[in-house]
Amino acid sequence: MMLAGTIWQREFVEFAQRRRALVIKLAFPLLVAIPLVLSRAPSIYAAMALTMLTAIVGPLGAGAVLTRERQTGLTLRYRTLPVTPGRLLIERLSTNAVIDFGQLIPVLVLIALRHPSAFAWWPALLLTTAAVLLIGNLMGAVASSLSQSPGEVMLYVVIPLLPLLYLSGVFTPLSQPALLVVSRLLPFSYLHEALLGALGGQPTLPPWETLLASLGFLVGAAGLTGRLGRRVFESD
Amino acid sequence: MRVDTASEPSLLIATDLTRAYRGGKGVFDIRLRLAAGEVVGVMGPNGSGKTTLLRLLATAATPTSGQVSWFGTTNARDPSVRRRLGVMLDQAAHFDQMTGYQNAWFFAHQFGLSDALARERLDELFSWSGLWDARDQLVGEYSLGMKRRLNLVEALVHRPSILLLDEPTLALDYRAELDLIERLQLLSLTGTAVVLATNDVHLAERLCDSILFLHEGRAIREGHVPELLTEVAGSKEVQLQLNSPISLEGLRSLAAVEAANVDGDTVHIILARGANPAQVLAVLNGTADLVSNMRVRRPNLGDLFLKLTGVALPVGHR
Repeated sequence: MMLAGTIWQREFVEFAQRRRALVIKLAFPLLVAIPLVLSRAPSIYAAMALTMLTAIVGPLGAGAVLTRERQTGLTLRYRTLPVTPGRLLIERLSTNAVIDFGQLIPVLVLIALRHPSAFAWWPALLLTTAAVLLIGNLMGAVASSLSQSPGEVMLYVVIPLLPLLYLSGVFTPLSQPALLVVSRLLPFSYLHEALLGALGGQPTLPPWETLLASLGFLVGAAGLTGRLGRRVFESD
Repeated sequence: MRVDTASEPSLLIATDLTRAYRGGKGVFDIRLRLAAGEVVGVMGPNGSGKTTLLRLLATAATPTSGQVSWFGTTNARDPSVRRRLGVMLDQAAHFDQMTGYQNAWFFAHQFGLSDALARERLDELFSWSGLWDARDQLVGEYSLGMKRRLNLVEALVHRPSILLLDEPTLALDYRAELDLIERLQLLSLTGTAVVLATNDVHLAERLCDSILFLHEGRAIREGHVPELLTEVAGSKEVQLQLNSPISLEGLRSLAAVEAANVDGDTVHIILARGANPAQVLAVLNGTADLVSNMRVRRPNLGDLFLKLTGVALPVGHR
């Protein structure tokens, strides 16, 4: 029996013990990615689908789990632990983001195997994926504080996510300067660029710029997570 | 022997504590002091504010106004405060996909216990609570009573200075309730202060030093148990099981009746001191087949609450 004494260990132990969820979680991204990558679908479509997949994995998982915990009373128990809400949220969301990242590793490996010549994009792709997963988990956590049920949390996640993906230039290339500026303020645009590059497409940004921006989003998301702890765990 | 608390500062002081919810629910202007080794019972019907008060004292809720001081600090988020509180909330919330032992291990470590100490104490508490054989079972497969016992284990494992227990005997069988009373009495003797929200009159009378009665979110009476019981001493409680409804107003207008309330097909009547149950039966004269059963007993804290508010506490859990 695996014993977990810390918050992050507990997340891993619980995840590892849910075998059915483990299989579904690993199989789902592969089922989406295999036909896209192996069939040599145009990189712009493959990048769009994989950006959407990555963007939605984090918030749905975190949102549903935290809403269920609010319903069952676990959130109240968290409030009685000698841990600050910020630290609690950082530990939980970063662990979940790592688990989500593990879920996407087979997809990233598949892309690398299929397009080995695009290796210059791999560091940027790894970092943007991590940043988007952490931001997605944070979105899900905030959505959970507004929701009464795991079903409702899906609405609060998808409603802002779709326009954000549009504004990131994921669905259609953006030509207006104002929209281009907006897209550069959103992490999904960098993930989309990195995926385009790694899939052998024609991204508009160089890999190093994407890498730097992703690093900024990752650090920003970590800082914001610490500050939103009370909002998520102590809103009644 | 109980520790001498006269010279001890209060472990917990609640001052004008208010938590208002929409719709007028909540608790209002509550004052409470808790010394080492003291056991305070919070009693009141459902919706009276017991759970809200416990959550405020347990740092799980934030007051709208007023404050709580724990061990001399009012900072509810201070980890050193929370490490000294043992909390059992109303919901038996756990990580259902983990075993009982895994859950308790996690909470024990959150409160700073080392591996060796956690193992030693959890082994003892799992045996005491009767959960030893179910320790490797997923909590999702536990019954409500088992989950409540696991909550108790988790509240006790770090040996807190203050125990805050919401309906601790809910879903426990009689044997488990007796074990709990015995354990809490021992803890009290060694200086642990206890606040328990309960409607279990048996538990409150056996365990509590003092009682705080809550009604519609407000403290309507507080005092030491023997002192409170003298207020209903000498009177009797009559329970009449009826075949058809009767007018409570008629009963209440009798000089022999101090308070009356109906609960299903049973009427609870607190007789005035020196009054005789026959005086009540005389009123029902002519409807001899109305009463199917009658029971007279010594009044308890529940009867005092009925006398004070005209509202009966929910029937005990047993």
